[in-house]
Amino acid sequence: MRTSTLLARNLAWYWRTNLAVLLGVATAAGVLGGALLVGDSVRASLRDLVLARLGNTDYVVARNGFFRENLAASFNKTGREACPTIAIEGMVAHQASGRRAYAVQIYGVDQRFGPAPQGRQILLSAALADELGAKPGDTLLVRVEKPSAIPLESLHGRKEDVGKTIRLTLGSAAPREFSLNPQQGDVRAAYVPLARLQKELGEIGKVNTILLGPTADPARLLAAHYTLEDLGIKTRTLPNAIAVETDTTLIPDALAERATATAKSLGLSTQPVLTYLANSIRANGREIPYSVVTALAAPPAPADPASITLNQWAAHDLNAKPGDPVSLDYYVWQSDGSLHTETAQFRLVQIVPIAGAAADRNYAPEYPGITESNSLRDWDPPFPLDLHRIRPADEQYWKQYRTTPKAFIALARGQQLWGTRFGKLTSIRISPPSPAFAGALRAALDPAQMGLTVTPVKARSLAASQGATDFGEYFVYFSFFLMVSALLLTGLFFKLGIEQRLREIGVLRALGFSISRIRAMFLLEGAALAVAGSLLGLAGALAYGAIIVFGLRTWWIDAVGTRMISLHPSIVSLATGALAGIVTGLGTIAFALRKLEPVTPRGLLAGEQKRHSVKRPLIVGTIAALLALILLASALLRALDQTAAFFGAGTLLLIAAISLQSAVLNRRSSASIGGLTTLALRSAAYRPGRSILCIAQIACATFLIVSVDAFRQTGDSAGTGGYPLMAESVLPLIHDPNTPAGRDALNIPPLPGVRFIPFRLRPGDDTSCLNLYRPRNPRILAPPAAFLRSAHFAFQDSVPHTPNPWLLLDEPLPGGAIPAIADASSMTYVLHLTLGQDFVLNGARFRIVAALHDSLFQSELLISEKNFLRLFPDVEGYRFFLLDVPPQKAQQVTGTLEDALSDYGFDIQSTAARLAGFHKVENTYLSTFRSLGALGLVLGTVGLAAILLRNALERRRELALLRAVGYRPSHLAAMVLAENLLLLLLGLATGTVCALLAIAPAVSLRGGQLPVASLALLLAAVLATGIGASLAATRAALRSPLLAALRSE
Amino acid sequence: MIRRGSPRTYRAAMLDVFQIAKTYPAPRGPLTILSGVSFTLHLGDAAAIMGPSGAGKSTLLYILGGLEQPTSGTVALDGRNPYALSEKELAAFRNQAIGFIFQDHCLLPQCSVLENVLVPTLVSTTEPRASASGYIARARDLLAQVGLSDRLDHRPAELSGGEKQRVALARALIRKPLLLLCDEPTGNLDQASADVVASLLLELHRQQETILIVVTHSAELAARFPLRYELRDANLHPAGA
Repeated sequence: MRTSTLLARNLAWYWRTNLAVLLGVATAAGVLGGALLVGDSVRASLRDLVLARLGNTDYVVARNGFFRENLAASFNKTGREACPTIAIEGMVAHQASGRRAYAVQIYGVDQRFGPAPQGRQILLSAALADELGAKPGDTLLVRVEKPSAIPLESLHGRKEDVGKTIRLTLGSAAPREFSLNPQQGDVRAAYVPLARLQKELGEIGKVNTILLGPTADPARLLAAHYTLEDLGIKTRTLPNAIAVETDTTLIPDALAERATATAKSLGLSTQPVLTYLANSIRANGREIPYSVVTALAAPPAPADPASITLNQWAAHDLNAKPGDPVSLDYYVWQSDGSLHTETAQFRLVQIVPIAGAAADRNYAPEYPGITESNSLRDWDPPFPLDLHRIRPADEQYWKQYRTTPKAFIALARGQQLWGTRFGKLTSIRISPPSPAFAGALRAALDPAQMGLTVTPVKARSLAASQGATDFGEYFVYFSFFLMVSALLLTGLFFKLGIEQRLREIGVLRALGFSISRIRAMFLLEGAALAVAGSLLGLAGALAYGAIIVFGLRTWWIDAVGTRMISLHPSIVSLATGALAGIVTGLGTIAFALRKLEPVTPRGLLAGEQKRHSVKRPLIVGTIAALLALILLASALLRALDQTAAFFGAGTLLLIAAISLQSAVLNRRSSASIGGLTTLALRSAAYRPGRSILCIAQIACATFLIVSVDAFRQTGDSAGTGGYPLMAESVLPLIHDPNTPAGRDALNIPPLPGVRFIPFRLRPGDDTSCLNLYRPRNPRILAPPAAFLRSAHFAFQDSVPHTPNPWLLLDEPLPGGAIPAIADASSMTYVLHLTLGQDFVLNGARFRIVAALHDSLFQSELLISEKNFLRLFPDVEGYRFFLLDVPPQKAQQVTGTLEDALSDYGFDIQSTAARLAGFHKVENTYLSTFRSLGALGLVLGTVGLAAILLRNALERRRELALLRAVGYRPSHLAAMVLAENLLLLLLGLATGTVCALLAIAPAVSLRGGQLPVASLALLLAAVLATGIGASLAATRAALRSPLLAALRSE
Repeated sequence: MIRRGSPRTYRAAMLDVFQIAKTYPAPRGPLTILSGVSFTLHLGDAAAIMGPSGAGKSTLLYILGGLEQPTSGTVALDGRNPYALSEKELAAFRNQAIGFIFQDHCLLPQCSVLENVLVPTLVSTTEPRASASGYIARARDLLAQVGLSDRLDHRPAELSGGEKQRVALARALIRKPLLLLCDEPTGNLDQASADVVASLLLELHRQQETILIVVTHSAELAARFPLRYELRDANLHPAGA
């Protein structure tokens, strides 16, 4: 006979109780392992999705502009063919039905990409084809933004008809499901023949994207093979110099600085040039129309910013002499999309002959529609031109001198008048002309700084697939109570098993087994059960994880927005769950064993249990209650994170309540029994440990259900800021729809009472709960200055506290960080940032200065327009709008605007619907988590039923005695039911009150509203389930022949 | 200290009980069960303690067996006071020096007859492990002596009341205890079984040279003991006094 033999006998003999313990551990291990598996599965599914959609693409070479298609050939030496592509956002319309799809990714591809359309074909991704209801052979209209090297928001940018429509026929081949942006939603992509798209966009032989496979050091390869032309930089060889210009007609500051430094390094001199078009040069009551004026830092321009030099022709025409006042009238492009005429005053200091430097017509860059014209009247500029002002003399000048400047001013003055965010120079002259300069400049430039970047798109996407929301952590967090319930059940059944074997323990003590030896034996039994349970829990984890994942794909699809989530078992998660099951199970069992020692062997032989002390639970309960109050106060005072404080306070309140109830039940009552009810109360206190376990299980489940449900969004949030509508456009709007001129330019009819608030938009990753991927390049919006002052929307907090946190966007921060505002939910749960925290984006440092409360801006960050234009000068026009509309006109305005602005892909949505979309995700999470509460409830009910049945069976003799002295079965049933109801109601009340108290801060933040009806329904369901279990157990207990129990041993 | 295995030719080992008292706290004041109980027994002595129900007979037995601490007084078995020992030492003392037989046998239902007899040997600290086979042989011998050699693999549920009590008797003697304590060993048995058990008890006591104390309310059983006591008024009196 060995100890192991005795252990094996014990495990087998008490198999019913041991099975219950094992199942309890299995449940706890299964729940934990399954929760972790959910996180693994979501991450792995996102990863699979992103890899499938990227295919062989590891890197992307891209520019916000076009470059040579042949650049792709430079990467072909790596063995894999690089794929030149055009990738732009656009919209697609189904001609027959009129259906439109906005924000579609348009790819210009050829056979290097994969299955590619030919001729006038187009291929659509499956989801897009479904959305449009398109079939092979249907005619589709693709509309994209027409590329313009010259910025639209500059004087020479062409603003009329910013888009290009291409008519194509849907092909039958199934294209790749391709996407460069990590997203769990369906791919909405259209594939167009590359050559066709190049031709339609006027960019023959050019692309804006190259897809690269695995490549060693692609940045080095790019640096070795790109040309200045790829960056939009031109060098023009002049008789005595090289002119560095760009296809935008403006030199960015970074290029100017680099070109100057390069020239200096080669011992060359530089001359910066800024040339502009003056509508008029006026002096002495005369004027010259449409003249080129050049600003220089050298003669023939004056040094004095207030002075001006005229050439002889101009001076003669104006009858001007040195000392005369001269005015320049010129157009300036405003951000509201209008052209303003401004005037600058000068004093004539010099008149120069049209010779030498003053005769240089190359100061002016090439302006399409102007410089190649043969006459002034042939000009086709993108601004108004009054042909009536043109005189024969002006035409004569143009014929003879073309773009030779008629006037020169100081460079500093010119930059002050005509400098823009795109640049403050039109060219840089390098002299003497050196053949080495172009190569040196190329070598000195960083293509990335000039906008030609290499992005490790696969690595970034894989990093993003780690997810913004750790589903594993969330499911562990909310499965916590489910695990607690399972462990309570484990402890309960193990305790029942010990109670069942008290006499056996007494015998062993009498035979010389020390208490530590007995405890060790039980621990070994418990360990065997914990290990077996945890191993069984592995299967449970897989099942639990599979059910949750299935649920995420089906019932709870609103939480993840994709059906592409599948179970990905992970050894680590399964092992963690199993190990945790063993540890927690064993801990629970060890805790249950602590009650053995204080009872004497004689007492054990008599079946006596330790009478619990009253003092300890009182102390524990009081301390826990005090700590809970402290946490609640901290949450109210915002000294602690509200969510953490809520859970902490709720848990402590639960502990306090249960401890205090334990103290009450353990108190030996001296009150006399006055009736059935008090008899029932006395019965509940007979086995206080069991009663407390029962109360704790019901309370835990109720706590979870009540607390989670209270966070359900009811949709009446003030997060719309008072704006009924919002809109986004695919093509940027350059003109202001609030002005008559703007409406005229956009072809919008008058809309009385409707006001547009235009925002600048830099596309990027969605930062809301709609995006499962971790946003690495957030979408950025910039509201106009007037909006900042209007103080719409509610804020949760700001740093520093201020009545209107919007104004913080314009406040400079120490260290140069850019102030940004985010929605509180996005900031906390998606970006994982806190208020006042800095983060780096594209090399710039940002700081969150304010957090919006439940707003419609959950998908983006907001910065001031000033900072936006400085950081993203290439992003032009407005693409996001809030619309202030009388609610009764909302539908009519929506139809009118979407129709009028259909060429811009203007898509209007109600702000309430937008918020509802976010709330839908949150509410789906809550539904999911509430289901776990329901599972915890089921476990609690099982525990309750087991206790009831066990209590009734143990007291069969007692109940039989009562029958013998005249109690009817209905009396017995009422007594047992009263005891059970007491436990049930205590559990319900404890869980509900603790949850309500603990979430009071959060509820008040949401306007003090609770979903009373659904909560009441839930609690009623809990009560009904518990009563049902009570009745079933009571019936089972009373069904056995009680009178026979009187005779039994 | 008597060395085990040597002939017990002198009566040095004894059970010395001196002024044992036991009171229990009760809502209406302490309840005195025993007061000033004193006696001495030597190896080979067999004593029966009788008394009315609730007199404290079982309490006295459990005090003698180290299962319940007296309120005052001392117990010494072979010169050792169990209540001066640590919990582990006390457990070892009970395992080595005391054998118990309870009224309802207290066999482990999950173990066979042989295994039940061997249970006390699992925690033996005085015998080396190698004597496991020795214990098995002794267990078989004891069971043969009580007439159960053909029931070694049977579970307690398959035995009659008398047979279970015989197994309990063998279990109590497996460790060759100095003191054998029996609490109403025949209380739940019919007359025939009770006679068998009583005879076996006295016979094995004589063979093993233990100190035997039996608590009983059966006059017939008590009559078979050379020493008889009566517990009344919280004290022990010679029977008939």
